[in-house]
Amino acid sequence: MTGPGTGVSQPSAGAGAELGGHAFLRGLPDSYLAVLAGTCRPTAVREGYRFFTEGDTASLFWLIRSGQVALDLDSPGRSLIVETLGKGDLLGLSWLVPPYEWQFGAVAVQDTTAFELDAAAVRAACDADPGLGYALLRRAMSAASSRLRAARIRMLDLYAAAGGPQDAP
Amino acid sequence: MTAPVLPSRYRVAGRHDETHDTVTLDLRPVDQPIPVCQPGQFTMLYAFGIGEVPVSVSGTGPDAELAQTVRAVGAVTRALCAAGPGRLLGVRGPYGTHWDVASAAGGDLLIVAGGIGLAPLRGALVTALRHRDRHRRIVVLIGARTPAELVFARELAQWRRAGAEVEVTVDRPTDGWTGHVGVVTQLLGRADLDPAHTTALICGPEVMMRLTARDLLALGIPAHRIRISLERNMRCGVAECGHCQLGPLLLCRDGPVVSYEVAAPLLAIREL
Amino acid sequence: MNDAIRPGSTRLLAAAALDPLFTSLHGAGYTIIGPTVRDGAIVLDEVAAPSDLPFGWGVQLEPGGYRLRRRSDTAAFGHSAGPQSWKQFLHPPREKLWSARLADGTFEIGADQDEAPPRLAFFGVRPCDLRAIEIQDQVLGGGHGNSRYAARREGILIVAVNCTEPGETCFCASMGTGPQAGPGYDLALTELVTGDRHEFLVDVGTPAGASVLAGVPHTPASGTTLDGARTAVAGAAQRMGRSMPAAGLHELMAGSHDAARWNDVASRCLTCGNCTLACPTCFCTSVEDVTDLSGDHAERWQHWASCFDLDFSYLHGGPVRASEPSRYRQWLTHKLGTWHDQFGSSGCVGCGRCIVWCPVGIDITEEVAALQAEAQQRESGSTP
Repeated sequence: MTGPGTGVSQPSAGAGAELGGHAFLRGLPDSYLAVLAGTCRPTAVREGYRFFTEGDTASLFWLIRSGQVALDLDSPGRSLIVETLGKGDLLGLSWLVPPYEWQFGAVAVQDTTAFELDAAAVRAACDADPGLGYALLRRAMSAASSRLRAARIRMLDLYAAAGGPQDAP
Repeated sequence: MTAPVLPSRYRVAGRHDETHDTVTLDLRPVDQPIPVCQPGQFTMLYAFGIGEVPVSVSGTGPDAELAQTVRAVGAVTRALCAAGPGRLLGVRGPYGTHWDVASAAGGDLLIVAGGIGLAPLRGALVTALRHRDRHRRIVVLIGARTPAELVFARELAQWRRAGAEVEVTVDRPTDGWTGHVGVVTQLLGRADLDPAHTTALICGPEVMMRLTARDLLALGIPAHRIRISLERNMRCGVAECGHCQLGPLLLCRDGPVVSYEVAAPLLAIREL
Repeated sequence: MNDAIRPGSTRLLAAAALDPLFTSLHGAGYTIIGPTVRDGAIVLDEVAAPSDLPFGWGVQLEPGGYRLRRRSDTAAFGHSAGPQSWKQFLHPPREKLWSARLADGTFEIGADQDEAPPRLAFFGVRPCDLRAIEIQDQVLGGGHGNSRYAARREGILIVAVNCTEPGETCFCASMGTGPQAGPGYDLALTELVTGDRHEFLVDVGTPAGASVLAGVPHTPASGTTLDGARTAVAGAAQRMGRSMPAAGLHELMAGSHDAARWNDVASRCLTCGNCTLACPTCFCTSVEDVTDLSGDHAERWQHWASCFDLDFSYLHGGPVRASEPSRYRQWLTHKLGTWHDQFGSSGCVGCGRCIVWCPVGIDITEEVAALQAEAQQRESGSTP
């Protein structure tokens, strides 16, 4: 299988159409899809493959097509899983936000396929065409907002027993 | 003089500790059994001298056995959770509306459970699996607090073998957990649902049910095919004490299973 | 006096005929419950003789106010909105449901009620209260639960009294429940007091009523007397001091969840629950499980509860309806609105007790008028 990170993009005919089928890019105009296709290639990795580590430069990002990826944080003696992502999800938000460094790590917990995109190239394309930039930012914002909502709900710990129930203590 | 509604006596034939605070009791009738319970209905369980609480029926058996899953959160439920084999309990019921699994025949059945909300849904799942060919896909999405707090964990493999697609996610993983981490609504997008042919049954904390229902509506599943299980303070179970009102509904009679079409406007009113 | 008395007949009784009427009721095995003066109010209790009735007593009513007063005549039923209603006899404030005994690792539950309920004759049921009994029959009498209510209700004989003089706080006419008694009585009296004459027109409603009346001295009612009585009752309907909107209360309540008025009324409401105690249709109860010191004997008791209590809606750590506005809203929107959805009629009979017995004088007719005004302003888009 091709490994990521070689930095060489291989645009292929029809790549734009394939990209357009991914949930994250749904509704993106064909012209924008074509631009992205130029910075993108399909990739497939085995379970256990580490996409990135906390602190690394965010030079790539991925759109997951199948499988499962865990976002994690390293801690002495244990690994902490923050969240798992799967089909249809954007893997990586920090490539959009200076200083473009990963806040978490990411590791495949199942064999996973994805589209891999070149972060710097995509940012440059957005600078050149703000319309593309706006379209991508809106989608990234939607993903971030959705994850923020989920994180807040988890913090509420709704499944914990509420203090004092119907049957009085 | 006709008798008031008396609990029927049931004996605890077995118990299973689902989690540190949740127990499934296997009950067998001592007196005349109560009428057949449908998935989604509840009984009022009585612990001698302490009191009664409404508990969903999590399973039934061919000889009038009842499985009821209880979480120890107060005086009555602590007593119920401490009941060992041989102990007698009182049971009244069944009360309320049921999940109406039969109405999902011919299409996909989606079951979304949060925490102990899986208990009232278990009966619906078991019923659907017993008549597997009546449904297309049976998708079960379960959210639990941690892997150790997953109820009916021992049955997941069996459900999968019987033809259900079961995905579990936890709010907080423990070491060694290789499954999903996140809230249960995050599994919806990955389930590839067919909204036009899906009936969804949701049970869990009210916030979780509201958010899940909203996400399902956004996916295109109509409100009349989304059912939730509502809870309010219940005392009599027979629509005479007034406690379980939610606007026009008396949940012991018009619920606990309510279509989201009916429930949505009521849940939107604060302190209803 | 020989033509058969039957349902639909009307006769005239002199006031003195109340004695033989009581005798007839006692003879048929009834304990008579009726109004009587006690503790500065007109309460409902066992009345052994007609002299126990509050002849010559009236009341002066206002929001948050109730005073006995001497009437200028000797009417026995010239009063209204006492602190109690007939529900205390059909749906007791405290009642043991069952008891259970623990022995040899098992327990037995028994209903414990071998005695038949007493046969009661309700003497002096106002039309609003008659309708209230009918409403509680609908809530408590049917179905799988309260056969105790049905058993108590079955033996009741109702002697209603039509109203010719509305109380200051009454609004039965606009609720369609009075001042003429609707069906459901065994006998209905209309009291006629003019100068020296003190008589009762009696309408017979049922064979049971006819049988009670059979041995009591009576005369036919002349056309004039009959007309006079009917006119007096109809006239009362024109003299109500208050009214509710004739239609649309169900929709008004359903549309008022966000009304600002709830905060306004809640700033006055003490959530004391007096209204729910005095209201003849409020039925909510709670149960209590108790044991003796040995722990071997347990009892389950049912008692009146009020939606104004904080713990009424307790769920998972706190009340669902914690704020005062939410609790007042629950009471009023249930009584006038969702009661229709749950039981097929309004829950309010226009007796006015909630107005009288509210310590701060909240008047639901005023609250409804304010909600209606707010709704109209919302609809027309103007700022309140």
